[in-house]
Amino acid sequence: MEQIQYYYFNLPIMRDALPTMLHGLGLTVLMALTTVAMGVGAGLLLAILRSYPSRWIRWPIICFVDVFRSLPQLVIIILIYFALPYAGIEFSPFWSTVLGLSLVLAAFAQESFWAGITATPRGQWEAATATGLSHTATVLFVILPPAIKTSIPSLTNRIIAVTKGTALGSAVAVQELLAHAQSIQSVVANPSPLTLGALLYMAIFAPMVAFSRWLEWRYRWSR
Amino acid sequence: MTSAPVLQISDLRKSFGSEEVLKGVNLTVQRGEVVVLLGSSGSGKSTFLRCINRLEEPTSGSITLNGNSVTASNANLRTLRKQIGMVFQSFNLYPHLTALKNITLALRLSLGQTRQAAEEQAKHMLAQVGLAEKAHAHPSELSGGQQQRVAIARALALEPQVMLFDEPTSALDPELVGSVLEVIRLLRQRHMTMVIVTHELGFAREAADRIIMMDKGEIVEEGPPEQLFTAPKHPRTREFLKHFTGR
Repeated sequence: MEQIQYYYFNLPIMRDALPTMLHGLGLTVLMALTTVAMGVGAGLLLAILRSYPSRWIRWPIICFVDVFRSLPQLVIIILIYFALPYAGIEFSPFWSTVLGLSLVLAAFAQESFWAGITATPRGQWEAATATGLSHTATVLFVILPPAIKTSIPSLTNRIIAVTKGTALGSAVAVQELLAHAQSIQSVVANPSPLTLGALLYMAIFAPMVAFSRWLEWRYRWSR
Repeated sequence: MTSAPVLQISDLRKSFGSEEVLKGVNLTVQRGEVVVLLGSSGSGKSTFLRCINRLEEPTSGSITLNGNSVTASNANLRTLRKQIGMVFQSFNLYPHLTALKNITLALRLSLGQTRQAAEEQAKHMLAQVGLAEKAHAHPSELSGGQQQRVAIARALALEPQVMLFDEPTSALDPELVGSVLEVIRLLRQRHMTMVIVTHELGFAREAADRIIMMDKGEIVEEGPPEQLFTAPKHPRTREFLKHFTGR
């Protein structure tokens, strides 16, 4: 018992580590927010484009989505950071991670929005078409508002799953929360900073989880 | 009537796969005329109606609206559809928008009206269908009959040349049917050109100028309601009207 306390809940070590770790936490939050904005935005755009009746638009989107849903996030990040420079494209560790995660989130978000779009009754399209609305106007003003509502539960789940992947940034030397925890741990020869890291991850992701539950609950009753 | 017909449809055919559901239908509708399509389910009457604004793509045949081709490959469909109002069996109101916004959406996006003009027009239309006080209600807060009246107002607001009704009362509880038929009667008094698919035989007899009897994708008989109801010629018409005793 004492050993567990010494190695995993060593308060003096945690206290010393806290300022540095908070710095890492800031970077983690920044990466998460950037990833959500880019990933969800791109996913929505792809879902809208996919609704156009052209196979030249639809096919590339489906390929993109299936590739990035099947590749592990870590592999994508490492490829962007280590392989792309050979093609003359260089991203910082921060942007390699954010871009890799955004691509994955875009693929999953696209699927969530697309599921919402296809769940919209055919009659909605027909009513809009019959009143002379263009395809774009129909999608933006008639189809999407209810479709987004429908897609919220699966979307929030994906957002949480993918943004937790910011920890993978430590593999390409982003000085985010996990990277700091690991480096301090190796200096003090005590894994308590990891425990602190876990608590800090909880502190940012638990509210997100609670928020998504609340959203699901709210939309279940208002539909 | 000497003026040009509003709708002229000739040799309209439609196949789903190998099944031919419309086998060369001809129909001419004059301005102000009310045409009712009768026929059992699967006779092709709904498909026929949906071909008129090309919600369903006809396989062959031609349709003109006021002399403008709807079926031409270079037809400006959006412009033509604005002139063809359509009312659906399942209302198809936009659930996230109020009754007023359901109507203003197309006024603003299809006709390019200002917000103020569109809202004024929408309120006017809602008053016509007796729902002025429901402008800010969402569809889920309205009864089926009220929803269908909003849907009629939505189509009417664009001031179409012709209104198509696809079984407008079939999804309604019996006690709500009357309010919707009342609105259609009102439109008839105002000489709105209408093509109506319905199973309300009493209403058809009373409101139609002409009745078209369809069977297996073809028109088997047509004429004024009195003639069809009292002296049907075709065996299918006789069969179909057999159970009708007049309400």
